[in-house]
Amino acid sequence: MASHPVDNLILLADCYKSSHYKAYPPGTTNLYAYFESRGGKFPYTVFFGLQYILKKWLCGPVLTKTMVEEAKEVINQVFKRDDVFNEEGWNHILEHHGGRLPLRIKAVPEGTVLSTKNVLFTVESTDPAVPWVTNFFETVLVQAWYPMTVATNSHIYKQIIQHYSNLTSDNHDMVEWMMLDTGYRGVSSVESAAIAGAAHMINFKSSDTMAGSSLLRKYYHLKGVAGFSTPSSEHSTVTSWGRDNEEEAHKHMMDTYYKSDVGCVCDSYDLFKCLEETWCGELKESVLERGRRGGCVYLRPDSGDPKEVVLKSLEILGKAYGTEVNSKGYKMLPSCVRVIQADGVSHNTLWEVLEHIKTHGWSSGSVFFGAGATLLQKVNRDTQKCAYKVSSAEVNGKCVEVYKQPITDTGKTSKKGRLTLQHDNGNITTFQCGQGDPSKDLLVTVFENGVLLKDYTFQEVQDRASVSPSHFNIEEYLHNGHME
Amino acid sequence: MEAGIVQNVILLVDSYKNSHHRQYPTGTSYIYSYFESRGGKFPYTVFFGLQYILKRWLQGPVITKEMIQEAKELHAQHFGRNDVFNEEGWNYIVERHGGKLPLKVCAVPEGTIVPTKNVLFTVVNTDPMVPWLTSFFETLLVQVWYPMTVATNSRIQKQILHHYHSKTNDDLDSLPRSLHDFGYRGVSSVESAAIGGAAHLVNFEGTDTLAALVFLRKYYHCNMAGYSIPASEHSTVTIWGRDRESDAHRNMLEAFPDGIVASVSDSYNIWDTCENIWGEELRELVLKRGKNGGAVYIRPDSGDPPTVVVKCLNILGDAYGTTVNSKGYKMLPPYLRVIQGDGISYKTIGKILENMKVNGWSAANVGFGSGGSLLQKVNRDTQKCAYKCSHAIIDGKGVDVYKQPITDPGKDSKKGRLALHLINGTYTTVQQEGNDPKLDMLVPVFKDGELLKDYTLQEIRERAKMCSSDINVMQFLKEDSANQDE
Repeated sequence: MASHPVDNLILLADCYKSSHYKAYPPGTTNLYAYFESRGGKFPYTVFFGLQYILKKWLCGPVLTKTMVEEAKEVINQVFKRDDVFNEEGWNHILEHHGGRLPLRIKAVPEGTVLSTKNVLFTVESTDPAVPWVTNFFETVLVQAWYPMTVATNSHIYKQIIQHYSNLTSDNHDMVEWMMLDTGYRGVSSVESAAIAGAAHMINFKSSDTMAGSSLLRKYYHLKGVAGFSTPSSEHSTVTSWGRDNEEEAHKHMMDTYYKSDVGCVCDSYDLFKCLEETWCGELKESVLERGRRGGCVYLRPDSGDPKEVVLKSLEILGKAYGTEVNSKGYKMLPSCVRVIQADGVSHNTLWEVLEHIKTHGWSSGSVFFGAGATLLQKVNRDTQKCAYKVSSAEVNGKCVEVYKQPITDTGKTSKKGRLTLQHDNGNITTFQCGQGDPSKDLLVTVFENGVLLKDYTFQEVQDRASVSPSHFNIEEYLHNGHME
Repeated sequence: MEAGIVQNVILLVDSYKNSHHRQYPTGTSYIYSYFESRGGKFPYTVFFGLQYILKRWLQGPVITKEMIQEAKELHAQHFGRNDVFNEEGWNYIVERHGGKLPLKVCAVPEGTIVPTKNVLFTVVNTDPMVPWLTSFFETLLVQVWYPMTVATNSRIQKQILHHYHSKTNDDLDSLPRSLHDFGYRGVSSVESAAIGGAAHLVNFEGTDTLAALVFLRKYYHCNMAGYSIPASEHSTVTIWGRDRESDAHRNMLEAFPDGIVASVSDSYNIWDTCENIWGEELRELVLKRGKNGGAVYIRPDSGDPPTVVVKCLNILGDAYGTTVNSKGYKMLPPYLRVIQGDGISYKTIGKILENMKVNGWSAANVGFGSGGSLLQKVNRDTQKCAYKCSHAIIDGKGVDVYKQPITDPGKDSKKGRLALHLINGTYTTVQQEGNDPKLDMLVPVFKDGELLKDYTLQEIRERAKMCSSDINVMQFLKEDSANQDE
């Protein structure tokens, strides 16, 4: 197995950043930058993933002489000139810092849930000879947008499911099992699968993306796995039996994985016929028998309009297996059979499905969900408008506020000066221009001069994220509409 | 700097696939699957990126006893049961095949432009003892949706630029550098930046995504696939303070006295900066640079792009004068250009170029940059990429396999063992049976752990270049906006 395509620290930045050390005013000795979500689709943020970036790319003596030589050759060729590459600057870091990065990074603890438009982390240079380091690593640090946005995206799925569970179920133990990550194939790389898979596991226990657990073991002290799954069929294992033998395919699945739970995809040819004739007919007794042994069969539609398909599936199954009405007045299937909808599940469709079945008297407890691209890939840096900007600097001994304020887009205005994140009248707020009280700062120094100073465990990340965000009303969020 | 997060090939897949080895009919000896784009936003795809997947993850002896042991333990926890993980099957692969994967992959040559709904690659197991292996690697192989879709989205934009450069410029010389990749920070990981950035470079030569350059060196035999220029960013301008913005730009010009330099100009007031700073204060410096054969690219970064670009061109045209080219369109002097790197996608780039044309400006005056739209705002549904089993040998007999969900005919899959033919200049997917194998455009690229084809970026670019049989991209844009897709 070959290694990661990029194994040189200096190549972790956009090309143009190699030119910036010459662009700052002479006498610049310090650069201080911050990262925030400037708003976006979700009104709050679950902060996660910086530790992965720090540990993977920035901790320890990460710069070597070989890297400087290789990067020099690459950068000179990219620019077709040799006055861009900052050989002196990189050599300074090698000689004076043993290849460790002279940066101080402060961040809100991972797993924290807070409103947008707040500082999430700050980055400051610690060596006046090389202040440009702060913004050199913007590129790779800004990639924190991804684990953060997926963690938040996933968190909102949980709010939606929890909301309907509260309304229509007696028992909420299964909520954290009700959104399966099926996105491994639909992301842009294995590394992205690992990052996003891990982010989802903060909120849910169901995942087919094993890479997520790999990341958590390596970077967040997880032992074993954080996501779980069930033996399940896919179309090829059903259709290879031939159209006339579909029932046999399902029966074989039931016999092969006799114990506990199984998942069966049912829409290879005719979903409703499959449910009626096979699952409510030939295999009904076998399902009930498994139920008596404590197991469950998850029946999976995989096409058609989700809300129609889920409701009709429930109705068919309810008719054959019977239903019970819970204390909230909603129907439940017996515990031996469930529907799992894993096709086209966005926040909107999840809401539509749960509302639709509720309207027809069904508890949310009989339906599980899965999501792939909508969970892990259909997000981008603009989803939460994540940005990294220099807000303060020291030039010729003076501290200056740095900000942009483009007349052509006030949404892109950035914060000024040195920032703190504090509790203030029951809210978490960002104080600008050094106006805050450093002793009350919620930002914690996590990295300094190559050393990791905070090492969060996955458990503590999960604990912090297990809250419902304050001032967040899920109904309002859903009804107000949002970018899809 | 350390190795990848996932060091175990068995963990490269959706976990439920570990349960499939026991689900095929008894007597199954071969499973044959194929990959296609079932349609989507664009009517064709540029095939690219499979070679990386094969080289990085699947080539050579990739399964070890240690991996099997680790995967066994993890899956026991993951499923909460011991009857799922296929220890026997993996041990067989180590013992019988030295850890190499007994699979055969045939694919259309990388860089080929293929209309959608055609087979792009096929996979079959070569050892009848392990038919489950074909579908096991679906997860990883399907990730080729990404480089393919980025390359396609990028090429569609090249077609749009080509259209406007042809109509409004003397030549096509500036086309290869007309769309620059700014997406390194806006993708989901460094690995994705490398893959997506490389896909863009199939069509263009301008990039800031360094990861893509080393990727192409490592996997596609290209020493230097792209280029960039020294350029400011907001921090390097705004640190000088609002009153000293012109000093910031002056410093940039003096720090890099020769060649091309770009400077972002919207930190406070783009119009003022263009008119007073670039148009007056720094005019001498710009002219001097021009005499030395260098250039300045002025970069707006906010506001409505079609409006902003034309307004900047007008202001700069007033300050520096213009000439009219052979097609009758205005050109700024050769040492002055605008680069628009905000809000660029295949939907918007045409609008900007059209507004420029309508206002008499040649397309060659403006370079474009794209980040998130180029490398992140795509997904597997963009081109409806899917991998499906189409044929199996069960008890010695070949059977066609397919799905045909009544709930969505768009999800129908192809049957049989497939070949790709070029019939009257059009790619068509046919059955292998009854057809001359020599006409099959699918080429064996991997067999039993060995890579059989090793494409270079050069040949890929050659295959993917603009040609006369390309779709009419302006017609495509018209239909696309009529569909009002997201």
